[in-house]
Amino acid sequence: MIEFRGVNKWFGALHVLKDITLSVEPREVVVVCGPSGSGKSTLIRCINGLETIKDGRLVVDGQRLGDRATNMTELRTEIGFVFQSFNLYPHKTALENVTLAPIHVRKIQRTEAESAGREMLAKVGLAEKFNAYPAELSGGQQQRVAIARCLCMRPKIMLFDEPTSALDPEMISEVLDVMVGVAEEGMTMMVVTHEMGFARKVAQRVVFMDEGAVVETGTPEEFFSDPKTDRSRAFLSKILRH
Amino acid sequence: MIWFQFQSLIGSYPLALRGLGMTVALSAISLVLGTLIGFTLGVLRTSGNRLVSRVIGLWIDLIRGTPFLVQIFLIFFILPEFGVELDAFTAGIIALTNLAACFICEIVAAGIRSVPTGQVEAALASGLSQWQRMRQVVLPQAMRVSLPPLVGQYVLLIKDSSVVSAIGLTDLTRVGWLVVQRVPNGLLVFAIVGIGYFVVCYPLILLARRLERRMSAAHGEVQL
Ligand SMILES: Nc1ncnc2c1ncn2[C@@H]1O[C@H](COP(=O)(O)OP(=O)(O)O)[C@@H](O)[C@H]1O
Ligand SMILES: [Mg+2]
Repeated sequence: MIEFRGVNKWFGALHVLKDITLSVEPREVVVVCGPSGSGKSTLIRCINGLETIKDGRLVVDGQRLGDRATNMTELRTEIGFVFQSFNLYPHKTALENVTLAPIHVRKIQRTEAESAGREMLAKVGLAEKFNAYPAELSGGQQQRVAIARCLCMRPKIMLFDEPTSALDPEMISEVLDVMVGVAEEGMTMMVVTHEMGFARKVAQRVVFMDEGAVVETGTPEEFFSDPKTDRSRAFLSKILRH
Repeated sequence: MIWFQFQSLIGSYPLALRGLGMTVALSAISLVLGTLIGFTLGVLRTSGNRLVSRVIGLWIDLIRGTPFLVQIFLIFFILPEFGVELDAFTAGIIALTNLAACFICEIVAAGIRSVPTGQVEAALASGLSQWQRMRQVVLPQAMRVSLPPLVGQYVLLIKDSSVVSAIGLTDLTRVGWLVVQRVPNGLLVFAIVGIGYFVVCYPLILLARRLERRMSAAHGEVQL
């Protein structure tokens, strides 16, 4: 579903992605972790073209990124992206947020899109909040709207960039619960997170990145109980400490 | 004496109405055209094409860096030298529209730049086209920032329209000059001219103030 082969990327002189080779199978859930600045965001932002790669091969849903034949706008409709900072449209209600792309991109009838949107919002536990503006919602509620906004497009892949790190601790689990639900329905997911509970519960693989490179890959069991490298051990001891 | 002056002022009211009509027509036409062009330029200026942005920026600096009176003279007296015959009204509209477009472009561009990049990324990620991103996500948010200064700019432009009397258009200001030759009381005549401008501008000033209050309070789309 997603295949990186020898991917490199630079920001000016900074080599952010170093020879990344990595693939994600359909219905697989992969968790990406690593210290801040290690290139995790850049890695998943490449998948939907928010960043472009310098060399190597990146194939998503059978289409090679950077190819003339690949219609990026079309490909993006198949990929949901959940941001750390939610990025809901502040001038639109929860329901308008989740129906915007279905109506304008998928060209679904408004009434149909709205009933699907209500259903999706109810599913993430926001049945009472259809007409609320983002500013009237808590962080956890906003992030759930953001997830619903992606799901309403019926994507094939969902990408999450630290979806819970901007949240107060008491709101983290409500968002993780929704993500677990999405994973259990068989979504192909790539999730940048340090939430080990989530990784253990639904991830098939954990990818550990440091300084722009994939340093270690393994099942959550292997990775958390028996990290193979010094760097992953150091990283784990740091996030376990708090 | 004052009584006599009043009487002859009242006698000039058809002329005064004509002047007011001219000022309103000039302002209305050039503000509508200037807004359309200004929005287009503002969107182009922020669209990421360096060359386009530079050219627009240079033109705006040129217009902002020269007196409006000089711009009007250039359009009215110089263009005919190149074979472009213009009547005073058209010249006035062109000059005012150009001025309005330049200021509005900068206001709109500043509004667009104030929209966080995360908003564009969210719209991009959900597959919206460039026009849809602009129309559905960026512009509505930019308008929250742009609308109050935009309306304020309209007031300035209406007042700037008085400069077109210099090329012989019978607007409110020129009516003042004409009347003052018959009724030699400049204070009285131009006080009335001032009131004429104020009557046109004051509703806009109130609107700008109201918008500013509403922007800071409400959610949702901006409505007038
Ligand atoms: N747009 C950018 N321009 C320049 N440098 C960037 C940009 N985005 C990220 N970086 C740098 O790239 C590195 C990796 O960033 P990022 O992918 O955000 O890391 P992570 O998500 O793992 O914290 C960091 O050193 C960061 O400062
Ligand atoms: Mg990051």
